[in-house]
Amino acid sequence: MKRKLEKIYMAFIVFLLYAPILTLVVLSFNSSRTRAKWGGFTLDWYRSLFANKDIMNALYTTLVIALLSAAAATLIGTAASIGISSMKTRARTVFMGVTNIPMLNGEIVMGISLMLLFIIGRVELGFGTILLAHITFNLPYVILSVMPKMKQTSRATYEAALDLGASPLYAFWKVTFPDIMPGVVSGFLLSFTMSLDDFVITYFTKGPGIDTLPTKIYSEVRKGIKPEMYSLSTILFVTVLLLLLLVNFSPSSENAEAAAKEKKRLAGRNPRKFHRVPKVFFGRVLPVIMAIVIIGGGIYYGSTNLASGSNQVIVYNWGEYIDPEVLEMFEEETGIHVIYEEFETNEIMYPKIQSGAIAYDLVCPSDYMIQKMLQNDLLQPLDFDNIPNAKNIGDVYFEKSRQFDPDNLYSIPYCWGTVGILYNKTMVDEPIDSWKVLWDTKYKDSILMQDSVRDAFGVALKTLGYSLNSTSIHELTQARDLLIQQKPLVQAYVIDQVRDKMIGNEAAIGVIYSGEAIYTQSENPDLVYVVPKEGSNMWIDSWVMPKNAPNKENAEKFLDFLCRPEIALMNFEYITYSTPNEAAREMIEDPEIRDSEIAFPDDSILSRCETFTYLGEDADEVYNQLWREVKSS
Amino acid sequence: MSNKLINLENITKIFDGVTVLDNLNLYIRENEFLTLLGPSGCGKTTTLRILGGFENPDEGRVFFDGKDITKLPPNKRQLNTVFQKYALFTHMTIAENIAFGLKIKGKSKAYIDDKIKYALKLVNLEGYENRSPALLSGGQQQRIAIARAIVNEPKVLLLDEPLGALDLKLRQDMQYELIRLKNELGITFVYVTHDQEEALTMSDTIVVMNQGYIQQIGTPEDIYNEPQNAFVADFIGDSNIIDGLMLQDRLVEILGAKFPCVDEGFGVRRPVDVVIRPEDIDLVKPEEGTITGRVTHLIFKGVHYEMEVAANGYTWLVHSTDMVPVGEEVGIHVDPFDIQIMNKPESEDEEASVIEE
Repeated sequence: MKRKLEKIYMAFIVFLLYAPILTLVVLSFNSSRTRAKWGGFTLDWYRSLFANKDIMNALYTTLVIALLSAAAATLIGTAASIGISSMKTRARTVFMGVTNIPMLNGEIVMGISLMLLFIIGRVELGFGTILLAHITFNLPYVILSVMPKMKQTSRATYEAALDLGASPLYAFWKVTFPDIMPGVVSGFLLSFTMSLDDFVITYFTKGPGIDTLPTKIYSEVRKGIKPEMYSLSTILFVTVLLLLLLVNFSPSSENAEAAAKEKKRLAGRNPRKFHRVPKVFFGRVLPVIMAIVIIGGGIYYGSTNLASGSNQVIVYNWGEYIDPEVLEMFEEETGIHVIYEEFETNEIMYPKIQSGAIAYDLVCPSDYMIQKMLQNDLLQPLDFDNIPNAKNIGDVYFEKSRQFDPDNLYSIPYCWGTVGILYNKTMVDEPIDSWKVLWDTKYKDSILMQDSVRDAFGVALKTLGYSLNSTSIHELTQARDLLIQQKPLVQAYVIDQVRDKMIGNEAAIGVIYSGEAIYTQSENPDLVYVVPKEGSNMWIDSWVMPKNAPNKENAEKFLDFLCRPEIALMNFEYITYSTPNEAAREMIEDPEIRDSEIAFPDDSILSRCETFTYLGEDADEVYNQLWREVKSS
Repeated sequence: MSNKLINLENITKIFDGVTVLDNLNLYIRENEFLTLLGPSGCGKTTTLRILGGFENPDEGRVFFDGKDITKLPPNKRQLNTVFQKYALFTHMTIAENIAFGLKIKGKSKAYIDDKIKYALKLVNLEGYENRSPALLSGGQQQRIAIARAIVNEPKVLLLDEPLGALDLKLRQDMQYELIRLKNELGITFVYVTHDQEEALTMSDTIVVMNQGYIQQIGTPEDIYNEPQNAFVADFIGDSNIIDGLMLQDRLVEILGAKFPCVDEGFGVRRPVDVVIRPEDIDLVKPEEGTITGRVTHLIFKGVHYEMEVAANGYTWLVHSTDMVPVGEEVGIHVDPFDIQIMNKPESEDEEASVIEE
């Protein structure tokens, strides 16, 4: 009985441990796009994963960095272990402490400090810096797995080899090294795994146009999790699992050693037989695999990046905010290589531009952020003579842009939209036209709110009839109280999941961006989008050029290309966010979309909307403080 | 035993402020079986390591065949070492272990195979070529370590307590084996041990060391019968070491009784140390003894009985094949030539060298 209970308990624990991963694995074979239902078995996600050039590039980069950094760390770490183990006790303790710091330190601290070091040293962030960073954080793992082996090796065998005429180097290779080999191998594999997994440090030390799988996945999931990511995560999980098994069953573990000894005893005569498997594997198979991956990948990578060199333009844009085909067409037409990097929020983008760690040519921030960047003198005026296609942008959008770019000198609108309410007409009783519905207790637990300060307060301020750029403490406290009052009704505060949850009928009402609304309607025709009568936020994302842009001319060419009607149309169809390009809008064939109230609301609606403006640090602090009060109430 | 092969001149070695060897001078003859004997920490292993090239002396020089080899690294010396814990290469087979040195010297495969066979035969482990050292017994491992060293035909074989880890019976067997090997190979053995019996059994010459100083150099018989100081007497075998007063030549006063002896030239009324080996004491009838006492302790040791006799305030250790029961009164008699007179230690160093037990 007791034993049975023990087993059930164990099974339960293991189940809990692996349930999340199991979910992921199952979903990677689910032919339905939504998580909510099982649509049958499929390998499509794996297929489209391997067809995705960006991801395969990231995979290659990840592997190369993992292999190179693990190899370098193993080399340096092993040498360090030899040095440290021959130190006197006190020095050894000090050095072991110092080498452990990178491991004990928060990853984020490591990442930031490495980034700062690279910036100060004027090292260009990119492949090299990621590699250096990975070597750095891998070192302690190698030392930690080699040191115990060093302690076990007897100095006597090394001296015996010297005594028999071996030079110190020969003695080390022939006698000491085979003894510490298991530690070296597990150090290598551990480093490899660590490097494969690392996100935080890579994120801070990478440059534009280069991604490892973790950073790639992160930028991909920002726009909602695509099923390909389940497949990719499944593959990663299986790879790491295999590596860990390899580490644990390699000769490093004492058990394995004892088992091998026992086997030898049983087998009697030939001890070499049992050394052969790991020896052949680590001595031949592993290096060959490494070489194939590096050389093969290098050829592939080189061929895709052949156009690179100095003729390039470095673009920093939101994730999923351009049709990839547009990039290819531009490269083909001009021969200019586009190094394309994505950010997730304005707030993540801003410090990168401000630090000057990476010199971008073009960035696409939102209205209020452009205002902030202008105030901090980070942007340079655009030369509209070189961007003739800018005339395709409707005047109304330049007019709206004056809120953050008063003389229309620095920015060209790229995408815009409104914030409104998306509701499921089968789940609400009456047509909705007011923000007030978000406070209707009828819809308790069916309401989705945006999980961001300005959006949430914008809704509350507008409901109260105030400006969404209010800095009046009185108005803001009222808004706070309103949000606190609403809190029990809210199912979840989310950002990207509003889209998926609404498609999946998981909620009745959600605050959403108009661009997302168009997409949700195509997936679920029961959804209706409305800009409430109290008015709302109209946002504009515009292209700007940082002061330190290195390829100004190419950037202008790229901007002009984006403003071409047919290109703007392609992007509109891909992004589904409203385009300010009037010429492009006229080319839309489907009248339902061309005259869509959601994509292109009439002026009466627009006149009720305002863009966010940058309110200054003090006001930001007030907003954040009040938002914290809402979240913690 | 002809010319001097190795010469250690004024060797001093200091570890972390502790003087391990202090101005040591020693020569080793060709074909000699020389043993460095002493308690742990006496500097015997350090001496051997300086010979092998694993330590550099802080002062002094090492000569080999007339050449100064003080700074020569171990791999350039014509010496080979058998290490205390064998130090076999566990990831190699026995044949590979033995071939290690020969391969470095670039010998032909046929030569190496030949040598392996010869060496294994010499240490009585024929046919063990392809086994793993880890699977051998301690004694077998030790013999492989010896085989590995001797195939290189060194002029001198250094052995660092090679039998220390073996049990008594095996140790005795190996002692004979080592003597046989030495005679067959005709090379010099420098042997380090703390086991006085081992040293007495095998050596041509014994160097007794303590606290970095050489206490006495001599043949086993010299060392045993004529210890030059209390440390040597106490370290080699069991001894009664008693304070005495040299009354005149050939007469010493011990514990208030006058004993005739054979020693001369110590002066008149000089305090001396008197050494009497337990097997040299005759237990006689009370009235026949020089002094009388009572048996307080009796142990059967196999070859003899070990007894303790309390007489004149000193507990005498006595070995005898005749048993005297506890409590019986006996007389103690010692033949004059069995009494060994030694000077009291004069210097502080010598004083310090008396073993603490």
